[in-house]
Amino acid sequence: MLRKLYQAIGSLNLAFGCMALVMLFMALGSFANSDQSGINDVALLIWLRQAPVRFSWWLWIVLALLVVLTINTIVCSFETIRSRYANRSLLRLLAPQLMHAGFLLIVLAHLLSASGSSKEGGRVVEGMTVTLPDNSQLQFTSISGEVGGYGMPTAYQSSIIHTVNNQRQSATISPNHPYFYNGYGLYLKQVELLPRPSAVVELHREPGASAALAGALIFTAGNLMLLLLRRGQEA
Amino acid sequence: MTLKALLMAAAALHLLGGSRFYLFIPAVALQLFYLSLRGIALGRLPLVGPHDTIAFLGASVGLMGLPFIMARRQKLPAACSGSIAAVSGLFTLIALLFKPSFFPLPPILNTLWFECHVALAFFGYALFAIAAIFGVFFLLRPERSLLDLQYRAALVGYTLFSASMVTGGIWGYYAWGTYWLWTPKELWTAILWLFYSFYLHFRLKGSQWERVTAWGGIVGLIITLFTYLGVSLLMKSSHSF
Repeated sequence: MLRKLYQAIGSLNLAFGCMALVMLFMALGSFANSDQSGINDVALLIWLRQAPVRFSWWLWIVLALLVVLTINTIVCSFETIRSRYANRSLLRLLAPQLMHAGFLLIVLAHLLSASGSSKEGGRVVEGMTVTLPDNSQLQFTSISGEVGGYGMPTAYQSSIIHTVNNQRQSATISPNHPYFYNGYGLYLKQVELLPRPSAVVELHREPGASAALAGALIFTAGNLMLLLLRRGQEA
Repeated sequence: MTLKALLMAAAALHLLGGSRFYLFIPAVALQLFYLSLRGIALGRLPLVGPHDTIAFLGASVGLMGLPFIMARRQKLPAACSGSIAAVSGLFTLIALLFKPSFFPLPPILNTLWFECHVALAFFGYALFAIAAIFGVFFLLRPERSLLDLQYRAALVGYTLFSASMVTGGIWGYYAWGTYWLWTPKELWTAILWLFYSFYLHFRLKGSQWERVTAWGGIVGLIITLFTYLGVSLLMKSSHSF
């Protein structure tokens, strides 16, 4: 009986079932999830605990299904390697398993972010100093921007001085160029020049980012290997 | 007006004679030439707003369809080539319904990661559309070679779409502070990715499921169109037009 259960856990049909249901509940969630739910304002696990069930029900189901799919992927990969190790070339064996490994690492990344990410922000004016979570001081020495022909901002940036243990470090932050320090990223979101230069800034912590990137690269490597192996062959 | 004439000519070539490669190739060339001129006028790739993105999608269908049409080993039925051309021409015509915008690019979009993210997504969408066409023809004429072509188009499309998600995550991390947001666009992106993961695994079920597989490629296109257009037009998201 245990053997049958093990085979069922690693079966392709279970994978199909999980994937289909994840798709279904994500689709339902996309319609049910209003922009007032605040899902992107706090770490996901905190949101799940605090949000009313009418906003979060679909994500609870998706998470449960993803747990099953994760176990299914691990068992399936193990069984595939175990049973085909002697009969297949290493590349043919490795390519899909790299993709599975990348997927699992990305799931882990999301779990790390869901439990440990944070976001806080506010408006700062030119010259203002803020205190970061590690009690170091960060001053926004200048805030500037350029406006294009349609009155829309075409560029904006802020010069900062970060004092850590009496050492001063200067940097410039702008869109797509945040300032990274000690696991945190400082992002410049919006700038207003009148009546006094000010900016909306956000401080983000994203503990799953490295794992997500590693998973993405491993997945991509496996995917490209699979493409090369499948060239000129039947499906 | 002159620029729009390029798109009109491309659409006409696709719709009236695209099954012939000597008309298909000039049509794709016109589409790419239009996008180049648009890009020069804007000072960037034309990847923002309904006009530019739909025109880009039309050109992508043509471009991604070229290897299938030109491959000597696999002579496509004329109706198949014509269908790929028709889809490319149709998207090009739809693009003409929207006015091209000349607004400056918001600073948050001014990065190579954004351009890679969007371009790869459209290449993926184009290949999913081509896979759907092969699925339709398989259902009409059950030849194994058509199903193989559907699989190949879907696999390459999946690779490019996955790369689009990776570059999108990198862009998001540098732009927004996170590699993932729980908005309708990201949810439907995940759904689309999962669907093609499902489809690519489905071939392992065996030859008795071939018709279901062909249908899968067609359903995938519907999900693709909703992910691209439906979410942007009907739902509030950071990806809205």
